[in-house]
Amino acid sequence: MASRAQHVFRWDLDKTYLRTEFDTARDLLKSAFETARDKKAYPGASALLRALRQTEEHRICIISGSPTQMRRVLAAKLALDGIEFDEFVLKNNLRNILRGRFRALRSQVPYKLPALLESRTHVLHTPPETLFGDDAEADAIVYSLYADILADRVTGEELSRILDAARAYDDELEWTMSLFRRIRRRDAVGRILIHLDRRSPTARFEVFGRRLVPIYNYFQAALILYADGLLTARQVLFIASEMLEDPDIEIATLANSLQDLLRRGRLSPEVASQLAHEARAAAQTGALAGRSHLPSFEEVAWAFTFRVRQLGTLPPPPALDEHPDLDYVSLVDAEYQRRRSKYGD
Amino acid sequence: MQRIVVDAMGGDEAPEAIVEGAGEATLALADSELILVGDSAQIGSTLSRVRHDGSRVRVHHTPSVIYMDEKPAEALASKPDASVAVAADLVARGEADAMVTAGNTGASVLACARRWELLPGVRRAALAAVYPTELRRGENNDPFSLLLDVGATIDASAEDLVAFAIMGSAYAQVISQNARPRVALLSNGTEAGKGPEPVTGAHKLLLEATGLNFIGNIEGLDIPRGVADVVVCSGYVGNVVIKMLEGVSETVLSLARYAHKERLMWRVALAMLSGGIQRLKSITDWKQYGGAPLLGFNNLCIKAHGRSQPQALANAVKVTSKALRSDLCGAMAASLAEFQERREARAANP
Repeated sequence: MASRAQHVFRWDLDKTYLRTEFDTARDLLKSAFETARDKKAYPGASALLRALRQTEEHRICIISGSPTQMRRVLAAKLALDGIEFDEFVLKNNLRNILRGRFRALRSQVPYKLPALLESRTHVLHTPPETLFGDDAEADAIVYSLYADILADRVTGEELSRILDAARAYDDELEWTMSLFRRIRRRDAVGRILIHLDRRSPTARFEVFGRRLVPIYNYFQAALILYADGLLTARQVLFIASEMLEDPDIEIATLANSLQDLLRRGRLSPEVASQLAHEARAAAQTGALAGRSHLPSFEEVAWAFTFRVRQLGTLPPPPALDEHPDLDYVSLVDAEYQRRRSKYGD
Repeated sequence: MQRIVVDAMGGDEAPEAIVEGAGEATLALADSELILVGDSAQIGSTLSRVRHDGSRVRVHHTPSVIYMDEKPAEALASKPDASVAVAADLVARGEADAMVTAGNTGASVLACARRWELLPGVRRAALAAVYPTELRRGENNDPFSLLLDVGATIDASAEDLVAFAIMGSAYAQVISQNARPRVALLSNGTEAGKGPEPVTGAHKLLLEATGLNFIGNIEGLDIPRGVADVVVCSGYVGNVVIKMLEGVSETVLSLARYAHKERLMWRVALAMLSGGIQRLKSITDWKQYGGAPLLGFNNLCIKAHGRSQPQALANAVKVTSKALRSDLCGAMAASLAEFQERREARAANP
């Protein structure tokens, strides 16, 4: 049924929401036999998804490369984490195996791009979108391509060449092209957040322009979404406080994450101070009531202010294009070659 | 969480190699925060190009640098905001737990000496260097012996040499997990009476008033043999020794390179030995050592080699983390206190 959502959030699962290893056959096997309780989400990811869901008009769509056979366990995991979603798309790899299409098992663009476009046809209007992916596969490329298609910056001819470079099967190409023709154009993707699961150098993503922000954790995602006006200061505080319950995360981790975004020019000092101002007001009204074991707001605010001060005068941020002219054919071909040399696809 | 401050601007290859090494260390050490002190723009630019965990890196901006060829005292006086001074300050103020620098050795020692307190029983600090030997030691099968002092204290008294021996022994116990490290004094003969007064005095004290595994004097040729796990000498002697050992190692490699170019037969012979040579090279490679600890203060400083590349710096950070986890300063203080107690007991009951 078509949705009247005012904003769409699209999430990948493995390595974006869930800590998953699938680099080796053993990892894949282990992941396949894990129960919902065994599966672990990244700190703050579920708090962020729940915060996004608090606004009724927000639509949560999950598009994952995990096989359809894992739907039950993945849906159970999301339910355990209190995540409600509107759409849940998985990859039908059994069908690929039965048809002898082994290249499709690990393919990224030919699977994910049509899945995104098809999902877009399920919304009535042309709502803005925020996309969440990771640095393990080709999310930065696929999401940017999807964003540029919606914004009418990619022609049919170009898309056909891109799908050729991605070694798409004929029916995948035809299906994607038919969706491409049907889709309503609007520069809708305002933000792409790439979770740095592999800790890839952030400079690697500068080519994708300002729209795409590499993040080390979901506190950084929350800060960016606060700057984008999609989360309130109070929601950011809740995400931070949930993250602080993880034994590996301390105030210093969050303060450094803030400093990292400022240093990379992905968050302005003005937005950081506005957040501090609003967060203080939220804390005073009892936003963190019932979480007395956590550090006081004053302690958190001091750590954050200190990190900002330690940076000194901020250098000018790297000049990133608003709408970079990306050579998708080369990007997709390089990604295919990389995957081929890694997995022998 | 451990907070390790890194002088990002110190070293021949700074800040790039230092920042890259620190970045590498953030991925290896899950329980550490690295505080990079230096020019925030340069540090940020390098960080963006290397793999690291941004949530475990803090940048502390400071505009000045003390270069390798500057005179330490003058440079520290004219640049109080130099990265090495600010790094030592952060530790002194309790904002960091330990420091790593690959910068100007004299300035690093002086910066720590002016800001940190000496451990009770220590009059002067010692810079220790590790050197590969024939033997393996400790639970870690460590091929390295420890030589100290290699330059922090030019003239050392008998008391200083004893303190160095105690601290060196504690370091070997903690880092190499060598339960009873063999401690020796470097002299010009193995007999107890050989050497200048500080050495003979230290010999007597070490035998009489410490519980160390003191094996007496050794000569220079015993160092590479690995006769002792901890070799104690004054900074003047140690500096000459360590530089000579480095020179010999580099000369051997140059000779091998020369032989490789000169004759086909030699080249074939070297190719046949290449596996062994590589192994030897990896053992004698200072990049693996993880830097030289500056011992004697209530805080820890690891001095990485001035020519440190990312791997060497990352190893220096890892050693620092290990020393913090094992409370190296606490172990040294306990050994020094034990020595004082023994001395007092002996004085009371001669």
